[in-house]
Amino acid sequence: MSALAYPDHITATYYLVLAAILFTIGAVGLLVRKNTLVMFMCIELMLNAANLTFVSFANALNDISGQVIVFFTLVVAAAEVAVGLAIIVAIFRRRQSVNADDVDLLKG
Amino acid sequence: MTEFYRQYLAVAVFVLAAFLMVGAMLGVARLLRPKVPQDEKYITYESGSDPLPLFGQMNVRYYIYALLFVIFDVEAVFIFPWAVNVEGLGWFGLVEMSAFVAVLLLGLAYVWRKGLLRWA
Amino acid sequence: MLSAATVHIATPAFDWHAFAPDLVLVATMVVVLVADLLLPDRESWRTSSIAAVGLLGALVPIATLVHSGHDRNLFNGAYVVDHYALALKAFFIIATYITVLLSVDYIREGDYYKGEFYFLLLVSTFGMSIMASSRDLISLFVALETISIPTFVLATFRKHDRASNEAGVKYYLIGVLSSALMLYGMSLIYGVTGATKLSDIAAYMSQHGTVPLVAVAMFLSLVGFAFKVSAVPFHFWAPDTYEGAPTPVTAFLSVASKAGGFVALINIVYFGFFLPNGRAADSWWPVLWVLAALSMTLGNLVALRQTNIVRMLAYSSVAQGGFMLVPFAAAGIAGADGHPGKAAAAMSAVVIYLLIYGAMNLGAFAVVIAVARRTRSAEISSYDGLWEIAPGLAVVMGIFLASLAGVPFFAGWFAKFVMFRAIIDAGTGWAIALGIIAAVNSVIAFFYYARPIRAMIFHAPTTEDRTPIVIPQPLFAAIALTVSVVVVVGIYPQVFARVGELAF
Repeated sequence: MSALAYPDHITATYYLVLAAILFTIGAVGLLVRKNTLVMFMCIELMLNAANLTFVSFANALNDISGQVIVFFTLVVAAAEVAVGLAIIVAIFRRRQSVNADDVDLLKG
Repeated sequence: MTEFYRQYLAVAVFVLAAFLMVGAMLGVARLLRPKVPQDEKYITYESGSDPLPLFGQMNVRYYIYALLFVIFDVEAVFIFPWAVNVEGLGWFGLVEMSAFVAVLLLGLAYVWRKGLLRWA
Repeated sequence: MLSAATVHIATPAFDWHAFAPDLVLVATMVVVLVADLLLPDRESWRTSSIAAVGLLGALVPIATLVHSGHDRNLFNGAYVVDHYALALKAFFIIATYITVLLSVDYIREGDYYKGEFYFLLLVSTFGMSIMASSRDLISLFVALETISIPTFVLATFRKHDRASNEAGVKYYLIGVLSSALMLYGMSLIYGVTGATKLSDIAAYMSQHGTVPLVAVAMFLSLVGFAFKVSAVPFHFWAPDTYEGAPTPVTAFLSVASKAGGFVALINIVYFGFFLPNGRAADSWWPVLWVLAALSMTLGNLVALRQTNIVRMLAYSSVAQGGFMLVPFAAAGIAGADGHPGKAAAAMSAVVIYLLIYGAMNLGAFAVVIAVARRTRSAEISSYDGLWEIAPGLAVVMGIFLASLAGVPFFAGWFAKFVMFRAIIDAGTGWAIALGIIAAVNSVIAFFYYARPIRAMIFHAPTTEDRTPIVIPQPLFAAIALTVSVVVVVGIYPQVFARVGELAF
């Protein structure tokens, strides 16, 4: 307890606890929220929590491979987001085409 | 108090000072200035076109550009470490990186050929 | 070329032969994409031929590698090309080849992007091929994502269809959630053991046993993999996705992509958490035991109530996944008991089951596609009187369903046999209990697999149309290939038993 109250410097524990909190926020958000875009953000939060854990362990262990993983995770996450947003755009376009009449009216 | 907290005390003082300064300036101005309310004063821009509502629908095309940007931007992450060590990695690294960039260029060629770069 | 002063970073010795199958796949991907760009839209379905040739071409280096006979370790053992990896690479490539055969006419006749379809299939296969060899957390993760991300797109491939869109979104969200869980689990494993290579992780754990944080990490990773292999209670996405996706994609998802998840599970559990002395097995076999029991039971019970054959096959694949987890749990039990030899035998039972399941499930989907060409329906009632309209198709469908049910002298029987043998070898009370659950479920499975057979033989056809169903050549080839595997392996199981022995 005393270590929490009077820290001399930020230890790996702080980062790990922060990462665990972020991961939990993401997981809970994913289960609670209904908006697909918000769900995407929650997943990003979870992935980045994992990244943070990797980096802080890499720092604590003085080992480079944990940081290398983060590179790959970043790229994978970007690919995932691109695919996910593309699926959303496909759905959005389809909905729009259902209301094509309304769109035409506004065009005048 | 530990050294750790003493370092952050300076930050806290700065934050407090910032709030006090802004508060003081706005407060003094409020006391001194004359008050003449007019509707036009509440528009964001007093001349020119009306600003769009904040959460209006954007053209879906913006997303495609954003996606393309994200993908090609993130790949750069692999080029940086190579660029730092380019001499040490020698020809092997150069060939590997050329293969990597060639695959990326293929992706760009695909995007271009499918007409996604044209704003239609 | 370089000045003497520059620092030389050791370039890894590159064994081109070991990478040849993967490189052939990559080259095929590139050629397919370029061909799709060059060909006019009308002709772009021809990329399917390039994909097929490339896939068969990738089998050549696999054969030469098998012939050369010795295991190859690359990157200090992070990438291993042994007989286990080669057997699975061959399986993935052949499964994709059959998927291409299923897709050619389906995709050509529909309003689809054609070149991209085969490109995405190849990317996913490439991921599987890497997966079979990877013995490192980084490459495992990247390979699994390379398998998954193209399949998200493939599930949504009917772009203008609401069901397909929904299938894609569900599959995507679940898939990404499971990777996040898995990655977090991996990060904790890395933190405790300080290693990403599976052999180093195993070495650490054989010294220190399972520390609590590793148990948590294992649990998180296992849950992530359970999503990927659609084990109950993480299965709910599968029926919706399978129904909404185009049928050849469903076949691919239920066989290749599921097998990819299983191989990932085998790699991380057997090479990472399982030790020469089997000490850490205690911490993961209960999870697999529960997943196996739930998947078999729930998958079967829900399959009983389905009226749509694709949904039925979806739940059946959930149940079959449960059957595959049974020898997996048995391996853990045997390992924890201190019998690594029995555990290895049980692991090869998982591989054998996977190979046989692949053949029979792909075949069943091939027949579903053939029948739907005429009926435009996937309801079981559309199979009424198929025996009168197309006796050949009816017989073949009967063989696949009987094999899935485990009727003797079709391949599925042998799969069930090795599964029960693993249970009996493990021999403890928990293993026997799981065996009893599996036996009861095998009986339940008979009822729903028999329903389409009953409809084909005993119900009168609903239409007067008696013209024969035209089966295009590629689809015919796919059916012929899978049915011969199912029959031959059923009669001479030694064929696959040998493959299983090579594996571990």
